[in-house]
Amino acid sequence: MRTALVVVAGLLSLRVAPACAQSSQGAPGRVELAIGPLWIGRQALGSSDANETAGTGGHLTLFSASTELASASGWEGRVGVKLWRSLEAEVAATSATPEIRSQISNDLEATTPVTVTERIRQFTVGGGIVWCPPLGRSPSRLAPFVTAGGGYLRQLHETATLVQTGQFYQFGGGVKVLFASRPRSRLKGLGARVDARAIVLSKGVAFDSSRHTSPALGASLFVRF
Amino acid sequence: MRRRAVAGLLVAVVFAQTQPAQAYLKFGVTIGGRRVTLKWAQRSARYFVSDQRVPGVATSDFQAALGRAFTTWQSVPTASISYQFAGLTVARPGQDDGLSTLGFESRPDLDRVLASTSFLIDGVTGELIESDIFFNSAFPWSVAQGGEANRYDLESIALHEIGHMSGLGHSALGETELREGGGRRVLGAEAVMFPIAFTAGSTAARALKADDIAGISDLYPDGDFDQAEGSVSGRVTKDGQAVFGAHVVAYDPVTRTMVGNFTLNAQGQFSIGGLSPGMHILRVEPLDDADLDSFFDVAVNPVDVDFKVTFFDSLVVVPRGGDSGEVTVKVVRK
Repeated sequence: MRTALVVVAGLLSLRVAPACAQSSQGAPGRVELAIGPLWIGRQALGSSDANETAGTGGHLTLFSASTELASASGWEGRVGVKLWRSLEAEVAATSATPEIRSQISNDLEATTPVTVTERIRQFTVGGGIVWCPPLGRSPSRLAPFVTAGGGYLRQLHETATLVQTGQFYQFGGGVKVLFASRPRSRLKGLGARVDARAIVLSKGVAFDSSRHTSPALGASLFVRF
Repeated sequence: MRRRAVAGLLVAVVFAQTQPAQAYLKFGVTIGGRRVTLKWAQRSARYFVSDQRVPGVATSDFQAALGRAFTTWQSVPTASISYQFAGLTVARPGQDDGLSTLGFESRPDLDRVLASTSFLIDGVTGELIESDIFFNSAFPWSVAQGGEANRYDLESIALHEIGHMSGLGHSALGETELREGGGRRVLGAEAVMFPIAFTAGSTAARALKADDIAGISDLYPDGDFDQAEGSVSGRVTKDGQAVFGAHVVAYDPVTRTMVGNFTLNAQGQFSIGGLSPGMHILRVEPLDDADLDSFFDVAVNPVDVDFKVTFFDSLVVVPRGGDSGEVTVKVVRK
C-alpha cells in the first residue's frame, strides 16, 4: 500500500510536456517502455483448388479452399530509444492467437460450404523507426507520428507440433499523448500511444508466396526514462 | 490391373491390410499366418520384354515406351526402387518361369481389361519372385509421343501396371460417371494408380502424382523421406460405429496436392503418410467411383458407402517426421 501511494504521488508530480521529440524543449527521457493491447484485422491467406487431372490434360476441381487469418487481439510490448530530436528507433514484440479459417466450397459431391478452422499462436519480433513531424514551435501534449518497420514472424500451430516462420512489415501512424513529465526524475514521463497500421505478412501459414496485408490498431501506455 | 471400364478380373493377390498402411493400398499375402507386404526385397527388379508385335506397335517402340514408364517410377527422388531391362524374350507374360515379363496377349474375352499384372510369390518366405504384365492386344495401342486418337497410350497404362508390379494397389483419387452402355468414364484422376483408365487417345496419365509418389516412397523409402515427411492418422465413424473402406484424402493447400488412403480395419482406422509438413484439409468420401472389388475383397470386408462426403472440422497439422495425432471424422448417412 505504501509503495502504491509513492508511485501515485510520483506520477502526479510529473509536469506536462511535449509528447514526442519534435519541440524545441525536447521530450523528456531517452528510453521509452510501452505495453498495451493490439488488434489485428483479418487477413486473406489465399485460395487454392484441389484439382484432379482430366483426361484432356485440363483440370477437374474436387473442391476449393479459401483461407483467412481471422481478426484477433493480442499484446504488444515496445522499447524505444530516442535517436534524434524527432526520431526514435524501437524494438517491439507482439503476441496474438488468431484462428485460421478455410472455407471449402464447390465440392463435387458435398452441397453446402463448410468452414474448417485451426488456432495458432503468432509472435513477432522486430524493429522500426518512429518519426514525429514538427508541427510548430509551441510544445503540445499530443504528438502525431508515423512509423515503419519489420521483423520476424513465428506462427505455432495449435498442436504445438509445427512452427512456420516468415517476415512481417508494417507502416502506419498515430498519436502519442504525454500525460505528465518530470525531466529531473528517473521516471521522466508517462503517456499513451494509439496507432493504426498496415501489417504485411510474408510466408508463415500463408498458402501462397504472396504478401498479405491486414489492418491493425494498437494502444499502449508508456513510461520514459 | 487397368480396366477400360469397371467390370473385369479380380486382382491377382489379396489385399492383406489389417493395420492401416502409411500410404496407399499395398499388396500383401499371408504366409504362415503372418502378413507380408509384397515388394521387391532387393529394391531392384529385372524385367524382360516379350518380342511379340501387335499392329501399330513395333517391339522397339514397345520397349522404349516401357522404358520411359519404368524411368518415371525410378526417378521418384524419395524412393529407392530401380528397374533393369534384361532383354527381349520369346517368353510370354503369365508363365511361371521366374522371369518378370511384359508383353502383349490377345484376350478379347477380357473386354474391359486393358492390362493386368500378376505375381509369383515364394509360398514359404513371401518373397516376390516374378511379376508379369500383359497388355491386351484386343485393344488398339499407341506409342506415339503425342498419343493417337482412339488408341490407348501404352506408356500411361504401363505406368499404372508398373505401380502394381512394384507392390502398389489401387488409389481412389478419381471421379467417374456412369456410362449409358455400362462401365464408367473418368472425369478426373489425381493418381496414376486409379483403377480406371482415361479414354483412348489421352496421354494425361504419363506423370506420377503426389499420391503415387507417397505410395512408392512408403514402400521403398529413400534418404530422409521418413524424417522429412509426416502423416495423418485417425478414425472414421458413423453413428459411433467404425466405417470400413472410407476413402480419406489429405489435401495440402500450399502444395495443392492430394494423398489418399482408406480406413482399413474394424476400428475404422486410417493412416496417410508421405505428406508434406503443414496444414491439410481432410475429406472423407464413400468409395463410389469405381468397383469396390478394385480395392477390397468385399466378400471378406464389406465396404460402407452409405455416408455423405464429410470434411474434418479442423485443419490438420502434419509435423515434419511425425504424425498429426489421431483425429476422428464423424460421417452421417446419406
